[in-house]
Amino acid sequence: MATLRVEHLNKTFPAIERGSDATTAIDDLSFEIGGHVFVSVVGPSGCGKSTLLNIVSGIETATHGSVSVSEDGSPARLGYVFQEPRLLPWRTVMQNMLYVLEGEDVPDRARDYLRMVGLDDAGGKFPAQLSGGMQQRVGIARAFAVEPDLLLMDEPFSHLDAITARSLREQLQGIWTEAKKTVLFVTHDIAEAVQLSNRVLILAPGGRLFADLPIELPYPRKASDTEVAMAQAELLRRFEEMQEETDAARATDVAS
Amino acid sequence: MSSVPVARASRGGRPPSLVTRRRVRGIAGLVIGVGGFLLVWTLLSALIFGPFTLPPPSRIGSVMWEIVRSGQFIHHFVPTILRLAYGFGLALLIGFPVGYLMGTSRWWRAFFHDMTIVAGSIPGITYAVLALVVFGIKILGPILSVGLVSMPYVAINVAEGLDSVDHRLVQMSDAYGRRRASIVRNVLIPSVAPFAFAGVRLSFALAWKVEQLTEVFGSSSGVGFQIRHEFEDFSIPGMLAWVLLFVIFMILVERFVLAKLERYLFRWRLEDRP
Amino acid sequence: MSQATTVAPASPIAGVGRLLRSPLTARIASYLFLLVAWQLLSLYEDRFPPPADVFGFLWIEVTGGSHGGIVRGEFLEHFAATLPRFTLGIAISMVLGIVSGVVIGGSKIAEALLKDTLLMLVALPAIIWAFLTQMWLGLGDTAVVITTFLSAFPFVAVNVVQGIQAVPRDLRRMSGAFHVSSYRRVRHLLLPAVTGYLFAGFRFAVIIGWNAVLLGEWFSSSEGVGYQARYWYDANRYKGFVAWVILFIGFIVLIDRVALVPLQRRAFRWRDTQVKQAQRRVEGIDVAVTGA
Ligand SMILES: Nc1ncnc2c1ncn2[C@@H]1O[C@H](COP(=O)(O)OP(=O)(O)OP(=O)(O)O)[C@@H](O)[C@H]1O
Ligand SMILES: [Mg+2]
Repeated sequence: MATLRVEHLNKTFPAIERGSDATTAIDDLSFEIGGHVFVSVVGPSGCGKSTLLNIVSGIETATHGSVSVSEDGSPARLGYVFQEPRLLPWRTVMQNMLYVLEGEDVPDRARDYLRMVGLDDAGGKFPAQLSGGMQQRVGIARAFAVEPDLLLMDEPFSHLDAITARSLREQLQGIWTEAKKTVLFVTHDIAEAVQLSNRVLILAPGGRLFADLPIELPYPRKASDTEVAMAQAELLRRFEEMQEETDAARATDVAS
Repeated sequence: MSSVPVARASRGGRPPSLVTRRRVRGIAGLVIGVGGFLLVWTLLSALIFGPFTLPPPSRIGSVMWEIVRSGQFIHHFVPTILRLAYGFGLALLIGFPVGYLMGTSRWWRAFFHDMTIVAGSIPGITYAVLALVVFGIKILGPILSVGLVSMPYVAINVAEGLDSVDHRLVQMSDAYGRRRASIVRNVLIPSVAPFAFAGVRLSFALAWKVEQLTEVFGSSSGVGFQIRHEFEDFSIPGMLAWVLLFVIFMILVERFVLAKLERYLFRWRLEDRP
Repeated sequence: MSQATTVAPASPIAGVGRLLRSPLTARIASYLFLLVAWQLLSLYEDRFPPPADVFGFLWIEVTGGSHGGIVRGEFLEHFAATLPRFTLGIAISMVLGIVSGVVIGGSKIAEALLKDTLLMLVALPAIIWAFLTQMWLGLGDTAVVITTFLSAFPFVAVNVVQGIQAVPRDLRRMSGAFHVSSYRRVRHLLLPAVTGYLFAGFRFAVIIGWNAVLLGEWFSSSEGVGYQARYWYDANRYKGFVAWVILFIGFIVLIDRVALVPLQRRAFRWRDTQVKQAQRRVEGIDVAVTGA
């Protein structure tokens, strides 16, 4: 379990062509998470969710502000489940797992986590031999296998069919309860956020933090639970509020 | 989801009868093909050209056998192959760094662009005769012409391979804290390899022709030299025997060594399989 | 990079730096590099003439200016001898290549019997034809034309076969089922599929045929571009030799870049998925060269 501290984060992508504007993907974002929490980041498409995870993971650098991830003062280990599987196509599933692992018992660990996602016997296969959902599960197993202090997940289920996604969501809940990780989970699916997380950050277009809501319901949760449905309704209400605010802002922009 | 088990079944659990049937068909095809080749040739020789202008396959066959039996073949074959190997080594040695520069820097791409493009349409005879003037009939001539012919193909393909590197995989590696050397080994090299290999195969087919030509023009050993020698002796059977021995060898290398190797190395690209 | 486009250069030095980094500079630098390398080569190997000598000689060959007793305006004369042979050789190889390609691509039996013969022909080096025709026919136009056509036609045929086989089989079957008339089948199904390959074949024929015509002239002619290169070579006048080599390289590069490549690009337009492949062909790299 790690502590993630984001302070006054800003990310601006410079204009690519002459005449086009620079894009502000994240604007003055601050929050802190730590411990055994499952935090979801929700927001409309293009509001900077993937960018946030990329900065936290070090793939991209912030324009202003700071991000720090620490585990009792020492650098934390990260796991990252991307929006798409991102496996090395020329390596088998097992080799893909071993690629990111270090230390002792590595093959055993890889096998354990493959079993966890139900792919015990796929180790010798190439990614192209697996279905999309199976590949995504390998991506999840890989992220868990590094036994990260902080686990980043970027819409890991959005490309999957509803049935597979539902079963993976339940598995994820189980693993998280058991493995005691800090999880930062990006999604645009409000039902998913409510079902999985105990805290939800809502990002507004332009990458501002719009709301920070706790969801205090006991695990395991089912999408069909009444409390979950109520929490969803509440979250949706906040979303609409945000929508209205953005529209109003845009209207004044146009007027001036 | 439902299509997956089906696809797997057809891939892994193909009934053995199909495999053997395919193999039988392959062998039958080869027999018919070679038979057809010999038939066409025999007919041309007997009906149109006559045995002196175009000796029949049997005559060429016996000359080929004589060349192999007497040890002549090995004697001239070895230098030819060695030059080819050295030339190719040179092409890789220079082609890879050039391709790397072209693939990673716009400036160097512009720098090498015209040279590599022009190299694709230069007639092979150019390399042969220029090597002759610059290096005389020293051993360097054929080696350099092989190197010069192959290099652009290797370089262009390496550059294209680098272009094709999926930067999301590099990002993934960064996120998991992989070291640079590990990324090079696990991401860059495997991405470039199929392109580089295609470049090598392609230039190989060109290179040995140009090498032979260079040997014809100026060399004192090698298959090309022998072809020239037979030409000056007015021996059509001798000439054809030498050239066919070499061509058959090269086709075998192409088909069985390079093609098989490519299949094996890039077996992860399942969609390319039949 | 994006800053460079939005922010004006602050100092002349920055402007110079940017100029040095531009692709145009790289191109110029590459030509300078070649010239310098050539100059150095001529210093190292004194049989190899320096660029200034060669270009001086070229100037005379092309313009016909008088200089040191050298015959004038040879350029036109010898190209005039070579081009008809070349054109005829290419024309014959196109006709025969298309015919044999259609036969092999259109019939299973012909394919089984002849495909390997064709691949063998693709693999044969042009020099063999130059030698054989010289032995068969002696010096003269016929030997050169035949060398050209024999070297080039297998490449046309291979490409036509590929083109015909690229017409999707179920598409062919579909039109059979709907009783599409054979005229329309050829017009809308076969031609669009084959045209691109045909252009590719044509381009290979031209490039390979050019090599062959030069070889043919080197060994069995007493005029023409190839002969002229040989003439200066035998006379130990390397200045003239290199000048002619440059002429024959320049000719084909010009034809290829100005006429053939744009033509081929147009012909391959319709194949979206294979645009990349078409481009690779355009760059002068293609599987047909290997005969694979
Ligand atoms: N490399 C980049 N260069 C320029 N702009 C970028 C880049 N990456 C992202 N952006 C811009 O930043 C903004 C946020 O992008 P981001 O990918 O973080 O969105 P997201 O919230 O993950 O959306 P989605 O839900 O669709 O995945 C977008 O406006 C996008 O256009
Ligand atoms: Mg995203």
